[in-house]
Formats: sequence, C-alpha cells, structure tokens
Amino acid sequence: MVGLSLGEKNFIKGGIAQDIRTDGRKRLTYRPIFVETGVIPQASGSARVKMGATDVIASVKAELGKPNASHPDKGKVSIYVDCSPTAEPTFEGRGGEELSMELSTALQRCLLGGKSGAGAGINLSSLSIVEGKVCWDIYIDGLVVSSDGNLLDALGAAIKAALSNTAVPKVQVAANASLDEQPEVDVSDEEFLQFDTTGVPVIITLTKVGKHYIVDATAEEESQMSSAVSISVNRQGRICGLTKRGGAGLDPSIILDMISVAKHVSEQLINKLDSEIAAAEACEEE
Amino acid sequence: MAGKISNTPATYMPSPTSQNKKMSSIFTGSDWVRPDGRGPHQCRPSFLRTGAVNYASGSAYAEFGNTKVIVSVFGPRESKKAMMYSDMGRLNCNVSYTSFATPIRGQASESKDLSSMLHKALEGAIILESFPKTTVDVFALVLESGGSELPVIISCASLALADAGIMLYDMVASVSMSCLGKNLVIDPVSEEESYQDGGLMITCMPSRNEVTQMTVTGEWSTPKIHEAMQLCLDACSKLGKIMRSCLKEAVTLPQE
Repeated sequence: MVGLSLGEKNFIKGGIAQDIRTDGRKRLTYRPIFVETGVIPQASGSARVKMGATDVIASVKAELGKPNASHPDKGKVSIYVDCSPTAEPTFEGRGGEELSMELSTALQRCLLGGKSGAGAGINLSSLSIVEGKVCWDIYIDGLVVSSDGNLLDALGAAIKAALSNTAVPKVQVAANASLDEQPEVDVSDEEFLQFDTTGVPVIITLTKVGKHYIVDATAEEESQMSSAVSISVNRQGRICGLTKRGGAGLDPSIILDMISVAKHVSEQLINKLDSEIAAAEACEEE
Repeated sequence: MAGKISNTPATYMPSPTSQNKKMSSIFTGSDWVRPDGRGPHQCRPSFLRTGAVNYASGSAYAEFGNTKVIVSVFGPRESKKAMMYSDMGRLNCNVSYTSFATPIRGQASESKDLSSMLHKALEGAIILESFPKTTVDVFALVLESGGSELPVIISCASLALADAGIMLYDMVASVSMSCLGKNLVIDPVSEEESYQDGGLMITCMPSRNEVTQMTVTGEWSTPKIHEAMQLCLDACSKLGKIMRSCLKEAVTLPQE
C-alpha cells in the first residue's frame, strides 16, 4: 500500500486542482506507452505493455472446444487476470485474488459486449468452425508484473495488442462426417489467420481526485481517489462498457461529462496504441 | 412467499431454454410485446417487507415479479480477530442462490461477482465511521431468479440495513435496463436479459442524487446512454419512495 504524509497528499491534490501533476503531466495526459508483442512464444499471441512503472503482460491462447448449447454458432472467449506477488507483496497468497477478480470482471464487461454479442471486441461468430460442434475457445490471460496504478487501462491495451498479434491456425473440416458425429478437424500448422482487431475497444479510467478527474493515475494518485469510472470506447466512439470503482457517489451529470471526456481521450489513445502496436510488430519481424 | 402462485401474473411465461432463436426476432421488431405484457418503460410490480428474519438485526424481503430475494443484516458485531484495527466499520456482503432459483438446477450466475457488486453499491451509502472496529454482515439469498437480480438484491439490502438501524446517508435504490435492438426496456426479466444487446444498471441514492454504482455492457451510443440513465434515475427515485413508505409502514403498524 502507498504510505503518504499529509504534505504529500496535499501536494498531489493541489497539483491536480491546478492541472499540473507530480510528474509534470496535465490531467488528461497519459504516461508514455511502450508495447512489445510476441513476448510469449508458447501462446498464440502475446503482448507486454508498459505505462510508466506499470507493467503488464497479456497472452492469448486458442484451443478447440465445444460451443455452448445456448449459442451454437458462437465461440467462447474468457478473460482472467493474475496479480503476481512480484508486483506487490500484498498480492501474495489470496491477497491478490480480490483485485484479480475485480479486474477480470471489469475487462469482461468492457471487452466482451452484451449477452447477444453486440459491441463485443471480438466477433464471436467468427470463432465458430462447425455450428454446434466445434469452435475456438479463446483464453486471454493477463498478468500484472509491476503495478503503479491504472492497471485496467494497461491490461486493456495489452489485450488489444496481444489480439492483433494472435495467429489462429487455419482449420480444415472433413466433409464426410455424419450429422451426429463429432466432425474431424485438421489443424494446419503452416497457415494462420489473423484476428480483426479494429473493433477492440480501449479502456479509459477517469480517476476522481478532489473536484477534478485525471487519466492514467499512478498508485500514489489512486490512493487519493474518491471514485473512478472506467469506460471502454471503440473506434466509432461508441461506449462498449462502463464500470465504477470506489465508494463515493457521483452526480449523474458528472458521469455523463466523464463519458464525453473519455470519448475525446479515446481517439488519441487508439491512434497512439495502433502506431505503437504497428511499430512493435515491425520490430518483431526484423 | 405463501402467495407464490397468486402473485405470478397470468401472462408471464417462465423462460424455456429451447425456443431461443424464434424469440429474439420478436424482441427486436418494432411491434413486440414484453413476455409479461408490460410497457417498455414500466417496472414490474414490487412487494417489499422488512423484518423477514427474526434472528437478524434487520432484514427485508423483496419480490419484483418473479425475482424473490431475502436479505438479512447482522451486526455491527466484533470484527474477526485476524482483521487489523480500523477506525472505520467494515461491510461484508455475500450473495447466494438457492439451488432451485434457476430453471436448471444449480445454474446460477457467479455469486462472488454479485457479492462484490453489492459491496461496492452499498459502501458509499453507509456511514462507516459510526461503527468503528466492527463489521456489518449483509447476507442475500435469491429464492427465485426471474431477471434483474442484482438491482433487487441491492434495493432489498439497503432496506434491510435501514431496518437494522445502520446509519445511512440515504437509501440505495437500483434499477437496470436492457437494450434490445432499438428498444430500451426497464427492469428486464431473465428472458429479455438473455437476448439483450446491452445492459445498464444504476444504483443511486435518490435524495442526494448520487450514483453509487453503475455498470454498462454492450455497445451504446451517447444519446442512448443519456436516455437510459434518465429513465433509470427516474425509476430509482420512484423506487426510493416505495422503499421509504415500506419502512414507515413497518414502524406505524403494531408488531404482531
């Protein structure tokens, strides 16, 4: 946990009120983002994202599975986050469990869309191979290596990068399979398909400190927050998910204001992230 | 709970899991009818009572259509020994489903997630400074799941907290909304929830006009979010009035 003296607390709060934060940023400026893709060779796709001292890794694994009976024409995507004790001693044992669960549910809410699949970052129908029989199960795992605030945004960015790095093998289905048999599938180890990641939203967390709210809060700034709202926005500027953290209540008009600010910030972030991902991919190929 | 059958509206159809494809087209069309015959912006009839459990410090029972929830509040009582000293009170929330709550036995949604959502929705409304060193336990049990459980649990829990005499800034009322195609429907039943394109849930303290918790799933445009939030907040303030009158009733009526 962050231990701050009264003076330090006032310094952080006063700085935010005057639009100059302790590290010199403005309220709506992100820390520099570093993206590295293909960091885990075992996975179908992976990425590491660093924002200041926050360091997270996301890996994507694709496995063949059976679709749910309620959605036979759709694949499945699950997101889990693990908070490693290397990041913070309080994460040891079951200490990180609560945070892990909170992050996992927030990511699921922000990236997987509604029950019918509308607004999902990944088109679930594209994961279907044989309707009702075989589909891709996508497992997205996030790992917090080092934590200095704003974990959700970093994990969201890492997942976006990992998905654009993901190559799913091409599958050949044997045509002669009868209706009630499990069809034979042949997974190609040479040809791969890429995901369409243009629809994957970015997550913007607005942390409210005092009367103002800031993006990309550090752990020190987060310790002074009254509440935080995480909004995921896609390229079309549509809201794909929203979660609130922190106990203090918010006026509804502030939430609406936050949504419009998040939309504005998301444009810059998406462009920044896209160019970083492209640079990382180019770097990996060399 | 005794009037289980009489409370069920005659038009309500329990959600059958088999005929899903056919239903979804009805929902997204323009001249659709909700499964229980309500208007799109009409909430289910609610029934609220405090004092459902004798042993608890406070308790409440809520019935919104087919969703039936019972919440008991214990404490404030001494925190567990392992807990560190704290000059603020602690809130402990737990949500569980009965095994017969869902059409398929034991197929309830993740209750751990619901517990943390309940905690987050309530913690902003409780004056935790008023019971230092101690813990208040809030246990919710879903007897029957008929859609929009979480809002019902939250509203019922805040009623139970008030019944237990825990200091609150305000009652917490909660309403959810589903987006089906172009339509916005308030207080969805489980059938509607399973086809929804997007969902929005607001918990707020009506007299302070403060949102304690809000979640959105699915894709939404900004005007739609504005509209849905307005409808939900309006419904919350109405629900808040019902909850208040329920509390007053419990005091004025002589105890049996």
